Amino acid sequence: MTYLWLALAFIAAAVVAGVVLARKGAFPGEAGRHWKAVGLAFAALVVLTAVFDSVMIGMELFHYDASHILGVRVGLAPIEDFAYPLAGVVALPGLWMWLTRKRKQTSEGRAESGLKGLVPQALLASRPVSWINTAYPFTAAMLLTTREVDWVLIVGTFYFLIPYNLAMYGINDVFDYESDLKNPRKGGIEGALLQPRLHRPMLWLAAITNVPFLLVLAFAGGPAAWLSLAVSAFAVVAYSVAGLRFKERPVLDSLTSSTHFVSPAVVGLALAGADVTPGLIVVLVAFFLWGMAAHAFGAVQDIEPDRQAGIGSIATVIGARRTVRLAVVLWLVAGLAMLATPWPGPLAAIIAVPYIANCAPYWNVTDTTAARTNVAWRRFIWLNYGSGFLVTLILILHWSLTS
Amino acid sequence: MGVLYLLSLLLGIGCMLLLDHRFRLFFWRDAKAAAIVTAVGVLFLLFWDLAGIGLGIFLRGEGTIATGLLIAPELPIEEPIFLLFLVLCTMVLYTGSRRLLDRIPAKRSEKQWENV
Repeated sequence: MTYLWLALAFIAAAVVAGVVLARKGAFPGEAGRHWKAVGLAFAALVVLTAVFDSVMIGMELFHYDASHILGVRVGLAPIEDFAYPLAGVVALPGLWMWLTRKRKQTSEGRAESGLKGLVPQALLASRPVSWINTAYPFTAAMLLTTREVDWVLIVGTFYFLIPYNLAMYGINDVFDYESDLKNPRKGGIEGALLQPRLHRPMLWLAAITNVPFLLVLAFAGGPAAWLSLAVSAFAVVAYSVAGLRFKERPVLDSLTSSTHFVSPAVVGLALAGADVTPGLIVVLVAFFLWGMAAHAFGAVQDIEPDRQAGIGSIATVIGARRTVRLAVVLWLVAGLAMLATPWPGPLAAIIAVPYIANCAPYWNVTDTTAARTNVAWRRFIWLNYGSGFLVTLILILHWSLTS
Repeated sequence: MGVLYLLSLLLGIGCMLLLDHRFRLFFWRDAKAAAIVTAVGVLFLLFWDLAGIGLGIFLRGEGTIATGLLIAPELPIEEPIFLLFLVLCTMVLYTGSRRLLDRIPAKRSEKQWENV
């Protein structure tokens, strides 16, 4: 009987909510059609529940304490299970009607265009070709430490794959609108111009898709995870948001950008409770230098549009030539640092070579020819996939040597 | 570790969203309102699940098609996904039924017109 009382309590709440919302949300003459549609939907749900609840119980996905249920079954489904679709279909359409009542009063088309294109725009803005660059460090760091796939790994990987990038690039594109307008490079593989009417919704989308994940991951870890998640989220926001604009502060821009890629790895290590060893720190430092070099080199091609828009970066301040040389040196140091890590870490030193080879031809680039480095930048995006492949092989070797 | 159940649910969600997209029913009609309805629905049903688990009514099975990953005692990772599917299915059915019902008067008047 316990399940019946539980179900009745939740149905009662749903009915009260559904009736009140339907009254407030319906226009004269609309209520009849609303309840008819609720009835039709419920009839369909009853059939679906009888079939699929039986299948799910038959597959032993879940079962019930026999002393708590009435024992009346449709197929294998206990009669009480039909309370779920009943409560849902009574309450939720009412909520829907109430929420959309204003839309119907105003012109239908105008309200619709308000958020139209937000999700496709947000996905395009989040640079799907680069999603893997933030998810991979997290997953690799955590999996290599725990050596098992648990829910924290799955949730964290998804977070750093999509929502994290939505926030990072979405916030960036909102506050970069001015410079993006003058930059023909945006709008394709490397980002999208974001219409001003989507700016506010984009920021909301970033918040809604990120905050729950941050809370869940924080809940799964201890103080080390809280700190690394806080640093990670702060770096995402501070990079481009008005007032902070770390991307316009030379050196700080490259440091913050690199944090975007290294912090997911640190979060993964913190959630997994990894031991801090000198070798691990050297690996993270080398990764960080790699990230700084990548950012600095990427900024070179934007020198002209950035200067026209009055936006500063490491490249606009120290100039194209010195920025390119700095990137080459940083990649070189990152490669050399890997030689100091325990075997098979030194193998990763070779990954620095293609980056240096890709960047070195621009050793004598000038500010006026800086835009030409875009060719190398496009190669860089694909080089990362090759590097990821090599890193994966090295990590598999590491796994087999340490297990 | 089986992923059949999880994949089936994701496939079902994909199908619901395709229907939604094709007929502009729910998310493609008012994304903000749809997001609120979905969040409220999933949280309400999840809370119901937790109450049932707390009372010792619901017990997780050992089915081989499930991943076996838990997000809380007796609460598998698939459950919120299932509830998401249930909410989407409910709302697609409701908004679809409304669409059909809203057309009936129009058809009747067409018939009257033909009779005249």
